[in-house]
Amino acid sequence: MTTAPIEAPKTTAPVVASVRDLRVHFKTKAGIVQAVDGVDFDVRDGETLGLVGETGCGKSVTARSFLRLVPMPPGIAVSGSIMFRPRMRCSSCDGAGCSICGNTGRVVSICPACSGAGCDTCEQTGAETVDLLTVPERELRAIRGNRIAMIFQDPGKALNPALTIGKQVAEVFYAHRSDELLTSAGIDPASESLQNYVLRRRASQESRTPENLVLSLPPLRTRRNAISAAADAMVAAALNETQIPNPRAVMDRYPHELSGGMKQRVMIAQALACDPDLLIADEPTTALDVTVQARIIELINELQERHKTAVVYISHDLSLVRKVADRTAVMYAGRIVEVGESDQIFHDPEHPYTRGLIDAIPGASHERGRLAAIEGTVPELIDPEPSCRFSGRCAYAEQVCRSEDPQLEPIDHRQVACFIHHPPDHGVAPTFARTEQ
Amino acid sequence: MTATTERRTVLAVRDLKKHFPIKDGALQRVVGHVRAVDGVSFDLHRGETLGLVGESGCGKTTLGRVLAGLEPATSGGVYFDLSEAQRIQLDQSLKALDGADLAGLDAGHRVDRLSGHDWRRFRRNTQMVFQDSFSSLNPRHLVSDIVGRPLQVHKEASGSALTERVVDLLEQVGLGRQHLYRYPHQFSGGQRQRISIARALALDPELVILDEPTSALDVSVQAQILNLLHELQQSRGFTFLFITHDLAVVRHMADRIAVMYLGRIVEAGSTSELFARPIHPYTDALLRANPDLTENDEGFHGLEGTVPDPARPPQGCRFHTRCVYATPDCGWEIDDVVLQLEETPALFDKLEGVERRSPFDADLQFDDGASSAGLATALKGDHVPESMKSAIEQVAVNDRTVSIRFREVDEVQLTERGSDRQAACVLDALPDRSTQRR
Repeated sequence: MTTAPIEAPKTTAPVVASVRDLRVHFKTKAGIVQAVDGVDFDVRDGETLGLVGETGCGKSVTARSFLRLVPMPPGIAVSGSIMFRPRMRCSSCDGAGCSICGNTGRVVSICPACSGAGCDTCEQTGAETVDLLTVPERELRAIRGNRIAMIFQDPGKALNPALTIGKQVAEVFYAHRSDELLTSAGIDPASESLQNYVLRRRASQESRTPENLVLSLPPLRTRRNAISAAADAMVAAALNETQIPNPRAVMDRYPHELSGGMKQRVMIAQALACDPDLLIADEPTTALDVTVQARIIELINELQERHKTAVVYISHDLSLVRKVADRTAVMYAGRIVEVGESDQIFHDPEHPYTRGLIDAIPGASHERGRLAAIEGTVPELIDPEPSCRFSGRCAYAEQVCRSEDPQLEPIDHRQVACFIHHPPDHGVAPTFARTEQ
Repeated sequence: MTATTERRTVLAVRDLKKHFPIKDGALQRVVGHVRAVDGVSFDLHRGETLGLVGESGCGKTTLGRVLAGLEPATSGGVYFDLSEAQRIQLDQSLKALDGADLAGLDAGHRVDRLSGHDWRRFRRNTQMVFQDSFSSLNPRHLVSDIVGRPLQVHKEASGSALTERVVDLLEQVGLGRQHLYRYPHQFSGGQRQRISIARALALDPELVILDEPTSALDVSVQAQILNLLHELQQSRGFTFLFITHDLAVVRHMADRIAVMYLGRIVEAGSTSELFARPIHPYTDALLRANPDLTENDEGFHGLEGTVPDPARPPQGCRFHTRCVYATPDCGWEIDDVVLQLEETPALFDKLEGVERRSPFDADLQFDDGASSAGLATALKGDHVPESMKSAIEQVAVNDRTVSIRFREVDEVQLTERGSDRQAACVLDALPDRSTQRR
């Protein structure tokens, strides 16, 4: 399945990641569950893309595929591609923001295969392009937490209960910023001496027991401590950025000593520590109270503004996504049914499912007991027949919806997968007029 | 004579408290109490829906459990099924502290004094629907057992008559005979919540306490359940106590709303009034933080700070530590100084001890004189809210000791604000948003 680039009136920013025909299947006793079944979308540089859908629609699985975090087994097959274009610090302004990098402080990395001339691996763009689904594990480790970071739904479960906040946030720096740690500890990372070798291993958390023993002896002890101090300083700075009061005191605490909102701030600090190009936020505020949720959203927006990070914001809460996202993709049963600018989608939804979702939110205008519920439940995704996945619950469905797959096709600045807007070649096309009868 | 024309009070709650002991040490001595519910009063009339709103930890679920008789109250009374005359009598005798008069009411109506027949009558008329239908339906029981159990316990039906009653109940909630012999895990979240509702309705109760019945559900399914609940209320005249954190849902469902914060009701009133004209700043903050309620272009705003420890609730108004409209009369106290100190580690590390004469008056001991002088200047700084500065009556630095005394303030009580409208705030009305501090 090929997809035309999504036209938008507002932005033509280059794409950070493009997902093409992503399929993730799980094997269960009942059969093969097609949790994600042909998903296409682009994430543009610096934007927030909202991914909305109900429980079980495959939004979390899509997100986890970005970092290959889908467990195998029970996952049996992931196909399609997720092309990611990492960025690097702009050399002319050193990250401060200039005209060359468009004030983002970052430029696209040059494709190593063709040095920017344009070749097949980079799809003629000249920018370094990595397929996250096929890249070797070792290279992926360099991307995880560094170029792409993730915030999980339940900060209580995502943080390690046995490590202090300071220790677990520092791991990001040990994994991805060991050179910076060495430099700020006054050690030349390029030096080849044996002492430096040991220190370098220490700064990337690779040192083993004998090396640690050597490091605890007087000649190296002070420098080892300088590395820890440098890491602590970086952690404190990262925590400070998420407006955690008194970060030095928080670093000595364990996750259970912090409130939910505070834990989520730690997660955000950890995710943004390496200034990633893409942040995947999987229901980051679902476990929080509304007043705390609003603070966290404000914080994410503020940090995104400063770091120019692209964000994929996953949520089941439409009203929230409307507030947060520039563009929104609505998912249903493993597929995207509608993508477009958020305002447009919420004011004038085109897909019957999007309409249903928006009408189901209890609003001031609804008479009590007259909420527009979507009847039925989400279908099982075990070996589905070709059909519109929503046809079983759709008030407008015709015969053709139950026998053919509607494709995601463009209509005025957005894409919709529905036969109402793209009538099939044969059979009776459904229309919105039908239920009014 | 039927009671249909007369207004009956299904539940009258008067100064209800529920404290949980905090035990510590080898002997598990009680070192304090978590005041989950701390002095709550309201009436619930027959046929209406009262929405109880608040954030997690405000005591709304505990209150629901106490009202359903699942937990004993620490103090205060819950009175069941009062006529209008009895309710007036109750309030008068409580006001006059008339023990003799109360004893008469207590015997037949006060929930924790009921026994035998009266207790059974209360239990069958008060049913509950829980938030998590995974843990509130026994996974080893069939649907027919789960929904039929109340009927068996109260000896309403048995044998094939019981089965027919269960089928009838299932049909009322949109399920059917084909679901009788299945286990809870075979259903989706929405269907399980329907089973919970069918079980609650089995004995045709007067009052149904709904504790976050739709929080675990998707919005399209939530709409189904809300419609169902409304239909059932219309056809069978239930009284609902709707406990939730979602203001959009209570606005849709409730006739009246009570907003809780840290164990107390801070504002109550009819739904339309409360949404159109919130009085308490906390209600306003909740409204402004909810993305369903704020308009598209309007930004939405959160609250600074965290909920205070319910074992040591703040003086005066419990919300003053986070309130953007706080005044000097809101109950600023020594704990607020300690809170400010915690944010300046340089001073906090030097703090040796706090000797309290009252919550408003204490000596703070420091390691050195410089720190105590530092605190005195910090209290005049920009970091400290204006209203807190004005509430300080005295700061005296004496070598390493700082004596601070705040204006003493009584606990802010819920007061009448027009007909059927109460709020617990020192201000008469919500100030203009431009006058916020910070």
